[in-house]
Amino acid sequence: MNASAWNMLLEGAWTTVWISAVSIAIGVVAGLVIALIRLARIPIIDQLLVLYVSVARATPLVTLALFIFLSAPDLGLDLNRSVAGILALTLNTTAFNAEIWRSAFRNFSREQSEAAMATGMTPWVTFRRIMLPQMVITSLPGLVNEMSFLIKGSPAIAVIGIVDLTRVTNRISAVTYEPLPPILVAGALYMAIIGCLVWLQRLAERRANRLAM
Amino acid sequence: MSEANTSETAAVSIRHLSKSFDDVEVLRDVELEVKTGEVVTIIGSSGSGKSTLLRCINWLEKPDRGSIHIAGQRIGVHDDGRPMPVRELAKVRAQTGMVFQGFNLWPHLNVLHNVTEAPIHVQGKSKREAEELATALLEKVGMSQKHDSYPNTLSGGQKQRVAIARALAMQPAVMLFDEPTSALDPELVGEVLAVIKDLSAEGYTMVMVTHEMAFARAVSDQVVFLEKGLIIERADPETFFTTPKTDRVRKFLENHDTPSSA
Repeated sequence: MNASAWNMLLEGAWTTVWISAVSIAIGVVAGLVIALIRLARIPIIDQLLVLYVSVARATPLVTLALFIFLSAPDLGLDLNRSVAGILALTLNTTAFNAEIWRSAFRNFSREQSEAAMATGMTPWVTFRRIMLPQMVITSLPGLVNEMSFLIKGSPAIAVIGIVDLTRVTNRISAVTYEPLPPILVAGALYMAIIGCLVWLQRLAERRANRLAM
Repeated sequence: MSEANTSETAAVSIRHLSKSFDDVEVLRDVELEVKTGEVVTIIGSSGSGKSTLLRCINWLEKPDRGSIHIAGQRIGVHDDGRPMPVRELAKVRAQTGMVFQGFNLWPHLNVLHNVTEAPIHVQGKSKREAEELATALLEKVGMSQKHDSYPNTLSGGQKQRVAIARALAMQPAVMLFDEPTSALDPELVGEVLAVIKDLSAEGYTMVMVTHEMAFARAVSDQVVFLEKGLIIERADPETFFTTPKTDRVRKFLENHDTPSSA
């Protein structure tokens, strides 16, 4: 592999990282918002969210990415590839994250919220100061798991023409006729990216020990 | 408004309070007045409604009928029957401090921050001000050495003492104790009762559900006996423990092996 091949690989890695990072950031927050709305059990909205979660969890990423990219012009939307890719990844991961947050809500100790309300905290302050910090710690293993699934599933967005870390290896071997070296480097880069996430998870686990009463 | 005025001097004023769970009436037309500085103990067998009564006072349970005033302010609903908005309810609740059977400390916060959390995020006190107050309160409950400890490293008695400091930190008009020693190992009961006794000596207003008869006799100004949601006897502790009026209470006291003197 020559210098330009290395350059292409790093560019591909960057594309994978930033598109995944944006999707993860939106997906974690949107998942929490959906879980919160579902707690309120608002008729119709609740059913729509249930429908969204089951459809998004059941649809392969490739299908979702293609559908969004190809249907956007019909809806009068002018989506560029990156936005369509982020949308596909986000719609997918949000559905899984919503379920992770929801189970954290369900398992949260009622006694602790009562103790918070008894001191005069409003439900919002109780959520922000007492529930959320603990829910983040208990949900992090599940969330990080979902993040690494997203990164490993992200090559699916190559189907709409995004040159991500996997797609770029194809392009390099099309010139060099040596497919193995770029694939190996790409594999190492994926491991490095996921490794950062796992390190984050360890950090959370150390704090989680405190919550075991 | 007239109802609020009549109860202005009372720390807690409960009128015609009724509450059912499904078909079971747990509270039936309960009337109770707790004057400022008074210690009221609620006694009764399990299932008599004593915890429910206590939890109605700060609206953790919603009564079906009746009214409750805390330091003259009605809690939960307005006089015209409108439910109170959450912010307003929270403000009245802040006038009560509650200590639970299971401590219910917040495990993600250390001892100091368990105590400063509400003063900072409910009353808007500065961090410094809240920490000064918390330091004083933790000293009062004998937990000065444990500021940086997390709840999972404390014994039950220590947890409960921190929980008492946490409730005191909001400087409430009344302290509510829901069986504060029932979850403790016998050898840890004493340290918690000692703290509560100090508070009563300092003139704190308290309503307490307990099974510790000797303790109830020693600290109470008024003892209330609840049976199937009805207050069937109320008296000063001497009268209550030495010359109960009803057979039911006499029997209860025999079974609880009360000491002859406090």
